[in-house]
Amino acid sequence: MIDLANEIWQTMRNNKLRTALTGVAVAWGIFMLIVLLGMSRGVVNAFDANMGKRGSNAINIYPGVTTEAWHGYKMGRYIQLKDGDKDVLESRGDNKIGRVTAKVYGQSMTLSTDRDYAMTYYEGVFPSELSRSGTTMVAGRFINDADIDQKRKVIVLSLKMAESLFANPEKSIGETVRFGNLSFLVVGVFDSRWSRQVYIPYSTARMLAGNTDNVNQLVVELDNVRTLEDGIAAERTIRNTLASIHDYNPQDESAVYFWNQFNQHLQMNTGMSILNITVWVIGIFTLLSGIIGVSNIMFVSVKERTHEIGIRRAIGAKPHSILTQIILESVSITTLFGYFGIILGTALTAVIGHFIGEQDGFLNPGVDLSIAFEVTVVLILAGAMAGMFPALKALKVKPVEALRDE
Amino acid sequence: MITLKDINKTYPGIVPLHVLRDINLHIDKGELVSIMGASGSGKSTLLNILGILDNYDSGEYWLDGVLIRNLSENRAAELRNRMIGFVFQSFNLISYKDAVENVALPLFYQGVGRKKRRMLAMEQLERVGLAERAHHLPGELSGGQKQRVALARALITNPSIILADEPTGALDSKTSKEVMQLFRDLNTDRNMTIIIVTHDPGVGEQTSRIIRISDGQITV
Repeated sequence: MIDLANEIWQTMRNNKLRTALTGVAVAWGIFMLIVLLGMSRGVVNAFDANMGKRGSNAINIYPGVTTEAWHGYKMGRYIQLKDGDKDVLESRGDNKIGRVTAKVYGQSMTLSTDRDYAMTYYEGVFPSELSRSGTTMVAGRFINDADIDQKRKVIVLSLKMAESLFANPEKSIGETVRFGNLSFLVVGVFDSRWSRQVYIPYSTARMLAGNTDNVNQLVVELDNVRTLEDGIAAERTIRNTLASIHDYNPQDESAVYFWNQFNQHLQMNTGMSILNITVWVIGIFTLLSGIIGVSNIMFVSVKERTHEIGIRRAIGAKPHSILTQIILESVSITTLFGYFGIILGTALTAVIGHFIGEQDGFLNPGVDLSIAFEVTVVLILAGAMAGMFPALKALKVKPVEALRDE
Repeated sequence: MITLKDINKTYPGIVPLHVLRDINLHIDKGELVSIMGASGSGKSTLLNILGILDNYDSGEYWLDGVLIRNLSENRAAELRNRMIGFVFQSFNLISYKDAVENVALPLFYQGVGRKKRRMLAMEQLERVGLAERAHHLPGELSGGQKQRVALARALITNPSIILADEPTGALDSKTSKEVMQLFRDLNTDRNMTIIIVTHDPGVGEQTSRIIRISDGQITV
């Protein structure tokens, strides 16, 4: 093994300039691949951070306005979703429709403590809202079933809100905030990157709204769905059911609005895979030009060394040792310079990450160990491919070549 | 040591070229023979067959008790490596390897370890009187020195025969004599079987037997 390495080192050293020029092409290809992968990783990371944690099995339904006349009703009728809708949906007995919950939005509200006051608005929610929205708690707990049953006056604050009302979010748990002439017990604080609202129990929110049946949003949790078609079928069932309750044309797409988180999640995942594949394809093709360069150089090298290969064959080199030597030479050039490219590419993505690492749609670009490993495999395969054809050509050199005068 | 029985060789083509016709030849162990002939006489083809560098069409070639016929590339390489020491007209040293590395190269293909290889190569270089030149590249050696390095390389595997193709063709008369002296010493001191292919009558005279070849047939 050392001998083989030594042989390769000698031939590479023998053609310094040629080796270096070829190597630069490979290093450039790998450099591009790494930078592209690092950047796309940044986009994927941002996606994961923004939306990846959000529940992926829910369909949200919002009230809309009809655009068609139906059963004697004029068009332009507002469809008000009702609390009873969720029970009707659940009792449909469709195996794709799991639990159905609802949300009530409050008007803007002013919360105050002894320290400060703040404007916000509330959402009356079920416990499942936490996972559906992908929110994480930083202190305390979220709304629970007992809160709903007992219509407790408890509240979950956003981090910003807790900071301004209590200075220390941790200390806000167990304290009360005033809302008009009511006081709410703070039970939890959630991490708010984007949301500004506060959460209270669904039942409490309905009470605040004057015990109407009106709700602002229905949330259907899906079961047994795997494909986009499943998601669309579930949507269809819900649309038809609601159409029969509220008496509108089931084909009227704007009577109620749908946000299908399940299908969106599938599409986003597909999008991310396509992004990843695209980046690999672009990177590999960039690398390919470098690899073809290596292959070319190896051809020249084999041509130049025909006589030498003949001598080696005459004094007893077996075909496979010639083959191994040429291929390993090619693999050495590719991996050696490939690693220069990896190092430079990693350095550049690190620099980019340092300067613009925390922007919207872009988070922590960079390459991890698995990418480095994949790229190493690519390099070795590419080097072997590049060396393969020149090596096969070298195999055709007959030992008689040794007797031919140069 | 070498027995050729009715060896025939034809190069195919539009007009097939029958280069060797019924060659019968016997060379004993310890002989120093020369093969002489004009260019085109078939002497190079005979050399290629003797060196297991080329195949023949019919007949039998026995080398040191081994029948050399229809060998695979691997087996041929192995036999060349172990049984034949080549000395070429243009030395055929590898230009970017120093003398000792060149001499050790056949052992590399035998899988001999690095240290042992170097040691044996140094021994051979000493034998040809070039120990102090061990770390010079071929480009830094004179023609005579290069040929002695090549001879050391040929000897390192302790082969059955030494096959020399115009070994003095690229040398001046003085170094030619020195190299020929080396061959003769090898022959007398170590009882080495040596076959020299040449067209130089002066070289032929220094061997114990001259085999003349003409039009693909042995004449004497």
